[in-house]
Amino acid sequence: MLFHTWPFLLFFLIVYPVHLILKRTRFGLIWLLAASYFFYGWINPLYVILIFYPTLIDYTVAARMEKSNRPKIWLALSIFNNIGLLCIFKYADFITNNINILLTSLKIPYEIAPPGILLPIGLSFYTLQSMGYAIDVYRGNIERQKSFIRYAVFVSFFPRLLAGPIERAGHLLPQLNKKAKLTIEDFTDGLSLFVVGLFKKVALADYLAQYVDKVYSTPEQFQSPALILATFLFAWQIYFDFSGYTDMARGIARMMGIRLMLNFNNPYLATGLGDFWSRWHISLSTWFKDYVYIPLGGNRKGKFNTYRNMFLTMVISGLWHGAAWTFVIWGVVHAFGRFLTREVERTELYKEKVPKIAKQFFVFSFVCFAWIFFRAENINDAWMIITRIFTSGAANPYIPIFALILILIIWLYQFLYESRLKHILEIKAVRIACVVLMILYLLVFAPSSRHTFIYLQF
Amino acid sequence: MSEKITDDFQKAAAPFSSNCPPPRPASEDAGAGIRLSACQWVIVAVICLAVSFLIPAIWERLENFSPGPDYRIPYKLSNDYWLYERYCRTANFEYETLVIGDSVIWGHYVSRDNTLSHYLNEMSGTRKFANLGLDGIHPAAMEGLLRYYGKKITNKNIILHLNPLWMSTPKLDLQTEKEFNFNHPNLVPQFKPEIACYKASLSTRLSAVVRRFFTFPNWVSHLNITYFQGMDMPTWTLENPYKNPLRAVTFNLQVVDSFEQSKKNIIQPKNNPFSASDTTKDEITDNGYQWVRPEKSLQWSCFMRTIKLLRERDNHVFVLVGPFNEHMLEGTSLESYQRLKNEIEKWLLQNNIACYMPPVLPAKIYQDASHPLSEGYAMIAEQLLENESFNSTIFPADNSRTAGQ
Repeated sequence: MLFHTWPFLLFFLIVYPVHLILKRTRFGLIWLLAASYFFYGWINPLYVILIFYPTLIDYTVAARMEKSNRPKIWLALSIFNNIGLLCIFKYADFITNNINILLTSLKIPYEIAPPGILLPIGLSFYTLQSMGYAIDVYRGNIERQKSFIRYAVFVSFFPRLLAGPIERAGHLLPQLNKKAKLTIEDFTDGLSLFVVGLFKKVALADYLAQYVDKVYSTPEQFQSPALILATFLFAWQIYFDFSGYTDMARGIARMMGIRLMLNFNNPYLATGLGDFWSRWHISLSTWFKDYVYIPLGGNRKGKFNTYRNMFLTMVISGLWHGAAWTFVIWGVVHAFGRFLTREVERTELYKEKVPKIAKQFFVFSFVCFAWIFFRAENINDAWMIITRIFTSGAANPYIPIFALILILIIWLYQFLYESRLKHILEIKAVRIACVVLMILYLLVFAPSSRHTFIYLQF
Repeated sequence: MSEKITDDFQKAAAPFSSNCPPPRPASEDAGAGIRLSACQWVIVAVICLAVSFLIPAIWERLENFSPGPDYRIPYKLSNDYWLYERYCRTANFEYETLVIGDSVIWGHYVSRDNTLSHYLNEMSGTRKFANLGLDGIHPAAMEGLLRYYGKKITNKNIILHLNPLWMSTPKLDLQTEKEFNFNHPNLVPQFKPEIACYKASLSTRLSAVVRRFFTFPNWVSHLNITYFQGMDMPTWTLENPYKNPLRAVTFNLQVVDSFEQSKKNIIQPKNNPFSASDTTKDEITDNGYQWVRPEKSLQWSCFMRTIKLLRERDNHVFVLVGPFNEHMLEGTSLESYQRLKNEIEKWLLQNNIACYMPPVLPAKIYQDASHPLSEGYAMIAEQLLENESFNSTIFPADNSRTAGQ
């Protein structure tokens, strides 16, 4: 059940009024849990068992940790369990395929049959969230949640269940404890977020997807301009797709009186790669910072170890996105990019003399280059695209002018939003006009083809 | 221990947060700064509602649509139900009798001046008959078409065509369990009665239901079908990267029948119609028509509801059953067909519905199992105008008027 479909609208029209009635009663959380499990089970009823399992394990682990003299063992169990789930459902095929390649190269006549398990949607997100809770309890950052129902809602809260944001227990659980009254502002802000998210997803991401899919599915048929443009447009497609999902998720949650964390903050206006990662998929990058980079030692043991930790974090982050070498390379490219730019970004020359627009252009170009590995079907395709960008010439460009105009408008809006002229966008009439235009555009021009969210595959 | 870890976090996190502005609080970033108050949302809702109601009405005034004699909805616009509704209104105003049916009425293998409605006009010396046939429609979809888009058809004479072909196999009767992609899925019942071979998602079904009650999405489809080759405008811009989408909207409907262009590769010369010796016949006969009995037929039940609907709207309904190329049938298949025809006739007469079943026509006038060629349409028109029941239904005030008189 995706946010931009009729079944979800029907689902929400039933869930929301009941939530409003029950929110301040003891049945409020039970209703939310039932709704969330129904939402998840709609895709495949067996998924309910799958989400219940880590929920139960991590709840029990946290309870045991509190009483145990060796909490580390319980923490290890939680980590082992969550990573084990990911390995079985997400990486089993990848691991067996690579073992088979290794066996073949060693001329060992043995082959392991890949299990062919389909990745359940949302697994990568809620396992990280549940694991984060166990680590936070272990570290003493939060108190363990005594109510199983509340904890289960924390793991399965439907607006963020399929593709995040990956919430922290310290942020979401207290909101589930509160029985605060819903305000009109909660509803209107939520609605604003939802409409913006819907516009990003349906009007922009799904539109750009058509061009990107066409070019990336047969890169050998396109020349340099189309390949560059498809990469450029993919950068926007994935941003609109994922941030659109997040906006909708945050909007729905906000309407229900719950504030989910900010996940995107105009990432393509970043002036450095570090800045980019503080604006892109914030909930994931901060999760990796807190639960991978810092436990590895962070920047505490010299430059080499700092870079090593950054490298490992980026590679793991790449692998988290998908069980394929293209994602690993994407992580590696970003890690090297970060190494190269980290020192430069600290120099006075870079800070003072290089114009902001040039920094933004550089970061955006670098990120676009890395997206080639992320989007390509395999490493061969990625390499072919890069090669053809430089060698195929420009005899037959395929440049959709309308798409470029649309992107230009969005980019200008973002520039304006982060500039001194931001107040123009805060004029009531401008805001109303923006929303009216977005709604009318959706009503008249929304592409009839519906694409699923890119991040649901992770 | 936890305090130390927290301190370490701050220090160790530095490489990931250097040069980074602190993230905004979540509340500040409501929809990239687009936050509206309740009052402003009301204004937005009023504007959007007004626009969605006004645009189709204004469009109708701006867009040039003047269907002349023998007009039929062009083949390429078959899925444009907004246009069909508009044509219904025009035809309802200009004509006394509306001829409604599938591709047989539309005239799949003939030009628009060789259709049944044309010959009825020509032979009766009047301009009473309008062709409201729609290529590709079947009774289950026809019911939806008339229920939701033919509301303006009231107090008219209706010649409603039933093509027995739709009951010739369980597949065409939409009875198979296996998915079958039939025409006009948005018009068929989406939930009840359940159509086994229709496997659309809940989202698609809900979307189809919503479209029936709001003009705006149908107008959007009209825009896409008429001016953007059936694509939405953004998709069209990808197919035509250097064209201006605004220029594509000409406000001039494709009134001229595109039959000659669209069908030039399909149409067979008239001297090469279906004949009993064709291999096609053997193939079809071998496959066997497994006629669906009326009491079990989905298409027939939809057809009955269509008659009821039209009569509830004060229309006088005359049913034309067939023609059907009986030369293609033999043995039990032919017997089943005859039995089916009898049962249909019996039901129609029991319910006081005037009807006509053309006798077996020469094989040479058929293009296939159910589509006559122009000569066939002329023969049926002639037979109809000589039929007493037809005349008393369609020309109640002037029963003497018959073909050639």
